[in-house]
Amino acid sequence: MTATEVQAQSFPSEPIEVIIPFNPGGRTDTVARLLAETIESNGWLDQPMVVVNAAGGAGANAVNQMRRGEADGHTIIHWHHQALIAMAMGLGDFDLGDFRSIGYTGGGSPVWAVRADSEFETIEDLIAHLQAEPRSLVEAVGIGTIPHFVGGMFANAAGFETRYVTANSGSDRLRLLLGGNADIALFAASEFLLQGEDLRALVYFGRERLPDLPDVPTATELGYDVSWANPNWWLAPADTPDEVIEVLAGALEQAISDPDIVAHFNSNTLEPYWMSGDDALEQAESILEALNEVATTIQ
Amino acid sequence: MLDAFSLLFQWHNLLILAGGTALGIVVGAIPGLTASMLIALTLPLTFHMDPVSAVTLLIGEYVGGISGGLITAILLRMPGTPASIVTTFDGYPMAKSGRAQRALALGITASVAGGIISWVFLAGMSPSLARFALQFGPWEYFALVLMALVMLAVLAQGSLAKGLLAAALGMAFALPGIDSSIGQARLTFGSSAMLSGFGILPVLIGAFAISQVLRDASAPKMQTEKINMPKERLPVYRSDMNTHGANMMRSSVIGTWIGLLPGIGANIAALVSYSTTKQLSHEPEKFGTGHEPGVVAGESANNASIGGALIPLITMGIPGSVTEAILIGALTIHNLQPGPLLFQNAPEIAYGIIAAYLIANIFMLLMMWSAVHHIAKVVHIPRAALLSVILVFCVLGSYAVNNSFTDVWVMVAFGVIGLVLEATKMPLGPFVIGFVLSPIAEEQLRASLMMADGNVADILTRPYALLFLALSALTVAWPWIMTKISSRKGTGA
Repeated sequence: MTATEVQAQSFPSEPIEVIIPFNPGGRTDTVARLLAETIESNGWLDQPMVVVNAAGGAGANAVNQMRRGEADGHTIIHWHHQALIAMAMGLGDFDLGDFRSIGYTGGGSPVWAVRADSEFETIEDLIAHLQAEPRSLVEAVGIGTIPHFVGGMFANAAGFETRYVTANSGSDRLRLLLGGNADIALFAASEFLLQGEDLRALVYFGRERLPDLPDVPTATELGYDVSWANPNWWLAPADTPDEVIEVLAGALEQAISDPDIVAHFNSNTLEPYWMSGDDALEQAESILEALNEVATTIQ
Repeated sequence: MLDAFSLLFQWHNLLILAGGTALGIVVGAIPGLTASMLIALTLPLTFHMDPVSAVTLLIGEYVGGISGGLITAILLRMPGTPASIVTTFDGYPMAKSGRAQRALALGITASVAGGIISWVFLAGMSPSLARFALQFGPWEYFALVLMALVMLAVLAQGSLAKGLLAAALGMAFALPGIDSSIGQARLTFGSSAMLSGFGILPVLIGAFAISQVLRDASAPKMQTEKINMPKERLPVYRSDMNTHGANMMRSSVIGTWIGLLPGIGANIAALVSYSTTKQLSHEPEKFGTGHEPGVVAGESANNASIGGALIPLITMGIPGSVTEAILIGALTIHNLQPGPLLFQNAPEIAYGIIAAYLIANIFMLLMMWSAVHHIAKVVHIPRAALLSVILVFCVLGSYAVNNSFTDVWVMVAFGVIGLVLEATKMPLGPFVIGFVLSPIAEEQLRASLMMADGNVADILTRPYALLFLALSALTVAWPWIMTKISSRKGTGA
């Protein structure tokens, strides 16, 4: 038995710290806590997973905290593709080489929405309007965040331009849109569905239509090659041994197949699926490439 | 609504509410530990509770956490939470001159008054108020925050020049971090630890608590400041209704209103109502020297802001502060999304929040009133022992914000800065206010300009923004106008 095998057999030997690069309460935080609790109550790992928050600095705080821990699987990060955007924007001093991808535990896609009383009934109306009068509508986005990039990719593909107003959280975007201070904003599908009657979704950025939103077309079916599926991405430090990654991936895969978790995901418009670390990394690499292109056009 | 109250009056929910409020008061009173920290820490506990109990616990902690801060602000000049910054301005001088009892009594009364007045707005007119506040866009936010900044700069105690200088210094420290208007790093000098800028909590704890600890530690002989705490009951008089009633009412309305605006919370509510009260006062020079209306203004407003912030939270699902973002997280874990549909889908939760808020305020009154004598005994503990305990909590609190030791060093650095400011007779208030307010003003102004394609004249189409700007201009011109008027009167007579 080699030393690493011994290590893997005894892993985890202490509680696993799961670092969330956001404040408590959001999707990434909630999903991590739910999965951690499911894993602990089923005894799928010998030690509990402890969720800690290290928000701020576009994820740099979380990455720094991960670096302070050992690369032995006891310190991991639960993030999403905002990590790739931080890399594309050149924020922070980290890139894909700093991490080992453990895998995706499902994810969700966003919609572009307008107010329910908006004059735009379909995305074609909106695009036609913006092409006729460029920059005539205001889009609420957090500069350098997912809404900015997804909107930017869509605008590049469809050939239009909007004006921006800064809105760094979903609630800010909602506030500006409902108050008439912005015309368009991106929301997670779950945010949109729960908000109910005040908004109208024009286009969905998933690969296929969402069962909960059967009438909302995807950008792909309209002929624009833009999709965004924001996964729940589990990451470990680059030097973490294979055996340890396998143990973690095994527990996470079991958790995302748990009926209660599946039910929670389905009722929150999140897709419950498991994607292995290598496949996840491959997908992330190709998205990062696309993001790097967008970054040069919007910076 | 009555159903919600009866649900809440189940003994276990009342017990949870009382426990949450008590915990909130204790945590709120300790400098470095805040209500949002407590709520984030207890959030996992609520996963296993039924939704009503979960919400009840969190609301209790929220109300208690904002209220408890006044105790240490008054007795030790260390705001237990950011919301009680202004309470140190007059509360501590009152305590020093032997009126600690009175300051505490007024602070507690004002807190409860603020809570109850904002509850009336919350229970009575949530939807219409929320719709109105929603119209506020970047221009309005910018003008409102600018008004607060101008009022505070002009009205700072002591030398105007030093006040402005301190405010400018505070603003400068708010610059580093990610510039949210372009998504790029600014003034971080290549350090990734600087990407999130200086955290508000480490700066605040440093400037107020650590500087106090350092000051006492460097004093040649540890002198115990004699703060008299007579044993008799807390002095509140029938005449207080006349002296402070109007102030409580006005400050509570200001607090509710500011709380209603998402993104700016209890500390700004207290700052704005304090400066408004000073502005309207016949004896503004007394503020900062232990003037009762100062304590009343801050403490009414910070508590009232909670009720105000709950309005957009439950009617539209828009959180007014970090604390409330966590509250939303707690609700979504139970598959409940605050928003217009909450009253239809889960009325027991919507009305439960409203009912719990009222009862938490009443619990807070009972607890603070009966326990304040015990809590106030902290002033009799040898200062050296007390300060070392506080120092431990300060370090813990700063560390816990982001689980980062950088924040602890930031806290220490701002402790030294606080000491230097004090030594050069530069007031701490404007320094902290500049630090807290200028990022909001900047972000909102740049968002406005972005939205208007760089056209400054766009503000002319925004009546509320213009109103706030006009009030700011009036504030600056007021002393000059007053002298004009009085000199005219003088010549006329």
